[in-house]
Amino acid sequence: MTRLSLALAVVAVLAASPALAQSDDTKSAIKGTPGRYGAAGCGLGSMAFGDQPGGVQILAATTNGTFGTQTFGITTGTSNCGPGVFAQGTKNFVEANREALAKDISRGEGEAIGALTVINSCGDSRAVGAALQRNFKSIFPTENASNEDVTSAILETLNGEKSLGCFRS
Amino acid sequence: MGTFPAALLVSLALAGAPASAPRPDPAHLAELIARAREQRLAEEVGWLRLGHWRRTLLGGWKSEVDGAQFFLAPRGKRDPAAELEATLAGFFDDQPRADELDDAQCRFPARFAFLAGKLGADLSRLPPRRCPRLEEFLARVHPQGATMVFSSYYLNNPASAFGHTLLRLDKAPEALGGKHFELLDYGVDYAATVDTRNAVLYAAKGLLGFFKGEFKHYAYYYKVRQYGDYESRDLWEYDLDLAPGEVALLTAHVWELGGTYFAYWYLDENCSYHVLGALEAAAPRLRLLDHVGRFVVLPSDTIHALFANPGLVRQVHYRPSIRTQFEARARSLSPPQLDLVERLARDPAAPVPGALASTDQAAVLDASVDLVDLRHARDLLLGKDPVAAGRRQELLERRAALAVPSPPLEVPVPADRRPEVGHGSLRLGVGGGVDRRGGGTVLLDLRLALHDLGDPGEGFPALAQIEFLPARLRWLPREGRLELDDASLVRVLSINPVNRFDIKPSWRMRAGATTVRDGGCAGCTAFAAELGGGFATADLAGALDLLAMGEVELLAAPGLEGAAGAGWRPGLGPSALARLRLGSRVTFLADARWRFLPGARPRASHLLSGVLRLHLARDLSLALEARHAPATRDVSALVLGYF
Repeated sequence: MTRLSLALAVVAVLAASPALAQSDDTKSAIKGTPGRYGAAGCGLGSMAFGDQPGGVQILAATTNGTFGTQTFGITTGTSNCGPGVFAQGTKNFVEANREALAKDISRGEGEAIGALTVINSCGDSRAVGAALQRNFKSIFPTENASNEDVTSAILETLNGEKSLGCFRS
Repeated sequence: MGTFPAALLVSLALAGAPASAPRPDPAHLAELIARAREQRLAEEVGWLRLGHWRRTLLGGWKSEVDGAQFFLAPRGKRDPAAELEATLAGFFDDQPRADELDDAQCRFPARFAFLAGKLGADLSRLPPRRCPRLEEFLARVHPQGATMVFSSYYLNNPASAFGHTLLRLDKAPEALGGKHFELLDYGVDYAATVDTRNAVLYAAKGLLGFFKGEFKHYAYYYKVRQYGDYESRDLWEYDLDLAPGEVALLTAHVWELGGTYFAYWYLDENCSYHVLGALEAAAPRLRLLDHVGRFVVLPSDTIHALFANPGLVRQVHYRPSIRTQFEARARSLSPPQLDLVERLARDPAAPVPGALASTDQAAVLDASVDLVDLRHARDLLLGKDPVAAGRRQELLERRAALAVPSPPLEVPVPADRRPEVGHGSLRLGVGGGVDRRGGGTVLLDLRLALHDLGDPGEGFPALAQIEFLPARLRWLPREGRLELDDASLVRVLSINPVNRFDIKPSWRMRAGATTVRDGGCAGCTAFAAELGGGFATADLAGALDLLAMGEVELLAAPGLEGAAGAGWRPGLGPSALARLRLGSRVTFLADARWRFLPGARPRASHLLSGVLRLHLARDLSLALEARHAPATRDVSALVLGYF
């Protein structure tokens, strides 16, 4: 009962909190949860949000964890998924990490490049970083390039430079 | 191996794995139940934790889990023994199921591993089950270790003002080239599923346990992007020293919890509480929930609880937020280079002196992109600021064209900000004083959480104050009177020092009650709400912080001679705050407020106060205080203890 009275006492104040509203627009981007444990599948962290940009999903799903409606429905992984996993994994990663990835590619270095190296099973992340940096203009020709185009340009780059040794299964 | 869904787990928990082809044998169920009764297994801590049963006041058991699907026995929520036997029976149930989650072996892999191990079950005598989704989950998460992640304080959202904790299931100690790429790991957290947009309902339901709290898992990079990039919160990662079997059991238990829910209590049974509960269930040797508060559980308590188990934390990692990264980049640049950073952030085509080496040009461009991100993170993400997005693109193109790699950014770990070195969250104080009328006073001070600007600074953000239920009682023996000197439900102060790159306002707010100390109704207790905003400068000479604000307040009390004779009065006016820190042991705070009170009597009021705190130990301080208001002048001294 202590908890209840304590809680009641605080309701009024937190109720006035203005910051809660800001999550609503991003929250509305969420489309729902497929099934009790969600969809299973390959790839990295694809969330069932429909067409929203990956970053919006981040805010929507994880505003301190209090606004998420996802259950165990997010998929990731680099194993046991068969052909196509490199492309799907890369696309999912691009969706959620686009801003950080663009920055790391421009710098030829960074954690996002390390992650791409792992996802696509390449050899050396420094070589991957240098190759992606050289091709920055074709990967991110404008700030509005679609995630699909960014993904395929990345895959083309990785595929075009055989010395990177990507896509080994 | 594939025949039994949980065989993977059991092989870790159990010495012997199934040897021959499985033959279902119902007689084995009776044997196992007999063994469980003989061992009194249902009373063992390992079983009780897997079901999240806690003692009730009357001596019985009740599970914190509220989802009915978590229990196989009709009275399972209150009867651990019945649930144990129903679970065993479920494992022997070989009816075909459309949904594998309706099958006990697939639904409860952690229980399976625990019971089979403890009872020495002969797996060849259980019906074989395939659990494709569970197997897919385990393969995907592929856990080799576990890490507790603490996301630091974020004052702009009340739900995360006290920080947040989550678990990370680590794919491998090393992924490639000896480096562990945590971005591809899984984060697991417990959060309320919010079903309202109404802020009042949100607060009420959150505090009163009306939301469903659920375990969820995400690619860890979602968390890094959100916390680190968009909210600029540093992350602390605590690698846990768990045995492989414990990691497997944790993963399996998280799967069990993922399909059910708890009632979410914002104050105690919250993210921090249940994340610890899950960890404790996977490793019964640990005592974690014993180390958190009874009424309020804070994310920082989670970290203290880890350290209360010696050896549990193997290593601490620090993941700097975008703000911290920018500051680290800026520190390595010369003043003319910093000018260039600012210029480029506004005009990405601005000329760069040709004499600048390409590595220096890269450093300048890297910093200006971080600056754009710092200023516009949310708008860039939501696509609301095409101008900033265009500038950013231009800067990135320019940076890439330099064709030199940036050296990995080295950010020094701020060891004195580690949450585990912070003082306890509950504060109690006792003391005495003298007021102008010559009366002695006895003071009692209580605060449920968490930190103010005068508290020992280690482990907390240097420029933030976030308090939940601070209250001070004042007893005047000569008058035989007890008064509520001041109390707040919440009190928040966020100082954002103005610098050349960042001009953000500082703000303060609180709501509570206070004793009126002017002619309005001297000595009466009034409801009080205050809100202020202004600008600050911090760390002058490494010791002094200054803040100037404009504030509005509202006082209301029956006896108050308020605006036009009403029982309430608005006030507005300037305020100033200074804090001087001498080393880590001495803090001095001075606060001055002046209020114009339109339409009320008196027409104006003021409050001046000074506080000197001496930090004797991490959890013990002395406070000397003095204040001056129209109807009060007093000095007092208190001992403050942190728990």
